[in-house]
Amino acid sequence: MRRVVLTGLGTIGPHGSGTEPLAAALRSGDAPLQSVEPCSLHGANSAGLALYQQGELTPWLAPRAARRLSPSSKYAVAAARQALQHAGVDDSGGAEQPRTSVRLGVSFGPSSVTESLLEQILRGNPQEASPMLFMESVANAPAGQVAMALDLRGPNAAIAQREAAGLLAFVGGVSDVTTGRCDRALVGAVDEVTSLTHGILDRFDALARPTEDLPEGARPFSGNRNGMLLSEGCTVIVLEDEESAKRRGAPILARVAAAVRANDPTAPASSWGRGGARLAKSLRRRLDAAGVDIASIDCVVSGAAGSVRGDRLEASTLRALWGEQPLPRVVAPKSVTGEYGGGFLAAAVLASGGAPVAPPKHFEVDPRLRIDLRDPRHEEASNPRRTLVSALAAGGAAAWIVLER
Amino acid sequence: MDVKHRVVITGYGAVTAYGVGAERLWAGVCSGQPAIGPFDLFDASRQRTRLAGVVPGAALRASDSPTDSRSDTFAVAAAAEALARADLILDSETDCGVFFGSSTGGMFEGEAFYDALPTAGPAAHRVLAHHQNNAPGDAVARRFGACGPLQTTSAACAAGAMALANAWFAIQEGEVEVALAGAADGLCQLTYAGFNALRAVDDRSCRPFRADRAGLSLGEGAGVLVLETQEHARRRGVTPRAVLSGVGSSCDAHHMTAPHPEGRGAVAALEEALAGAGLTAADIDFVNAHGTGTPLNDVAEWAALSRVLGARAGRVPVTSTKGSVGHLLGAAGAVEAIATIQCLERGMVHPTPGPGAPDPEAPVDLVRFEPRPCPDARHAVSINLAFGGANGAVLLSNWEE
Repeated sequence: MRRVVLTGLGTIGPHGSGTEPLAAALRSGDAPLQSVEPCSLHGANSAGLALYQQGELTPWLAPRAARRLSPSSKYAVAAARQALQHAGVDDSGGAEQPRTSVRLGVSFGPSSVTESLLEQILRGNPQEASPMLFMESVANAPAGQVAMALDLRGPNAAIAQREAAGLLAFVGGVSDVTTGRCDRALVGAVDEVTSLTHGILDRFDALARPTEDLPEGARPFSGNRNGMLLSEGCTVIVLEDEESAKRRGAPILARVAAAVRANDPTAPASSWGRGGARLAKSLRRRLDAAGVDIASIDCVVSGAAGSVRGDRLEASTLRALWGEQPLPRVVAPKSVTGEYGGGFLAAAVLASGGAPVAPPKHFEVDPRLRIDLRDPRHEEASNPRRTLVSALAAGGAAAWIVLER
Repeated sequence: MDVKHRVVITGYGAVTAYGVGAERLWAGVCSGQPAIGPFDLFDASRQRTRLAGVVPGAALRASDSPTDSRSDTFAVAAAAEALARADLILDSETDCGVFFGSSTGGMFEGEAFYDALPTAGPAAHRVLAHHQNNAPGDAVARRFGACGPLQTTSAACAAGAMALANAWFAIQEGEVEVALAGAADGLCQLTYAGFNALRAVDDRSCRPFRADRAGLSLGEGAGVLVLETQEHARRRGVTPRAVLSGVGSSCDAHHMTAPHPEGRGAVAALEEALAGAGLTAADIDFVNAHGTGTPLNDVAEWAALSRVLGARAGRVPVTSTKGSVGHLLGAAGAVEAIATIQCLERGMVHPTPGPGAPDPEAPVDLVRFEPRPCPDARHAVSINLAFGGANGAVLLSNWEE
């Protein structure tokens, strides 16, 4: 069985372009929130902030090429080129390129394009709908645009699985390489923020709101958490066979020690269930099969985003996995990256390499979850040997990976 | 890759314009009468064309969840049939995977919500919990208590074939021993107007591989298959119905909506499926083509088949399920795989309805008018080509011990 390594990381999002500004934000704990233009779904008590993409695209995507692309497709092409450059790969493409898959997780897909198209069809004349908008409205359009821009001819798809989509795309890419089906995989996540998406999530009480005492912000695992931050952007990771990567002298960011998927069937359609023990059992079984001892994991990069129910499931899953043993250091970068758009994936790779992740602002321990992100013991383990990365989605899907140095 | 497990198919279920149930699908496709016609799901009078293959309303049983989308309902109905046919009841100890595909999810309901803005009330908001592409697969996993991997692939019209491929690889890698693989898509105004905007829809019922074809017909529905290792089926005492021998997927990297004119990506997908199955092109006994009926698709597909099948290309029987039920988008690959299995089980290839002379530019041996007996057929391939250049191929074989 081939071993899979990460050799490139490209990210573009609210913190700008590339990993350095994201690493700085993770260290400081600052989330660059901006106001959302209200739509008809927003009310007086609605959330009003989101994390908008701020990175410069032109180094990666010529304005002329960008003109017909959705925001999601632009972000994806830019992040993919960044990732390949980071991996030291010539992105000129062609049939001689190693067979490369592209798998991008999406939650809402190219929603700005979909909304424009719906406006044309439902409120205008459907016979005048734009073919350009239609072809960019499909969820796999960003992955397809990456393939066209870079001439990548392996399997190509979007993974639509809400909060777990990015990590599931990662798991799919690992399979592509380990089975020998592909020489290389570009995996990641992409999403975009619109006022309507923000308003819909707000109506579902999914988003963090300001309180009398606290500003609007995501506080994963905190007793005062009340929702997540909506974010946009794209992260792309280059996966390849370890031996091939070594032969070409590629920088190796981490090795994949395990990649696991499961489902919690107790989850309702738009929220999280209570099946932490069963999820932990599935995870434990697969970690055992991969030869990963729980005791060897010294860091958890949690996908907890500040959701009341989601974080509860995350905590119960981690507790069930470790049983009587104390949890290793836990970090929860979504207080900075927000939810969706791939920032979490980039943060996980950085954290697995030792990048510090500040606890959420205004954090207070939730006595029911008993996960203290400010635990000073964790400072001692800032260079993890093995990192468990988790993502639990509303609706039940779950994915984890273990990265090792 | 090393093929470690023989992946068998022990059950399948389908929801199409012929109604709920795979037997209705088989009777329909063999009738030679397409289930494509006028519909009242939404006001088509504003659209450029007026026909589609819509699931008859009376065929749908009320869902367990009143907020389930049409796509969710199709998916759950198809999965229930597949599990019953496989004689499989999931328990909490079995890590059964759910590998699904969808292109539009609950967009039909999402459109109603959008149309009601800005006055949409709380009831309208609730349907949005099911509007994303993952909703049909989630609904299946939730309804049947599946605890294994849950993943929805959205690869436009190749989503169903890619869902089968994902399940096949998960079984090969030992991640699961049993999986539900399928796809669901409901018709909606966005896709109806969108394909019309591309001038890709025929104003008559579609006529794949005919010289005067003028586009596809849209449809809707779901297909779900129970896949398991041969060992797992044997332990359960269940006789498989077919074998998923190999899978392939690829990308044209050519154009967002048009296939590569030489079928480059389709060739790669077909070759990967053959290699995984340990077969050669000479082993393919018939083809269930993507066969949309668009001028570009059918010619590109012929080019791909010519490349793979060589001199046999014009002699291998070809059919298109889309000629009967329309193009089910993300669900197409799953439903067409089921139709292909039914052909293998019965030893006959179902016909492709529609008048018109064969296209000399795509001279496939199209099965027309009535089912064609092929009692010795052992292996068949089903192909799907999609937006974004995605391609999928699944190689299906008769069950033999």
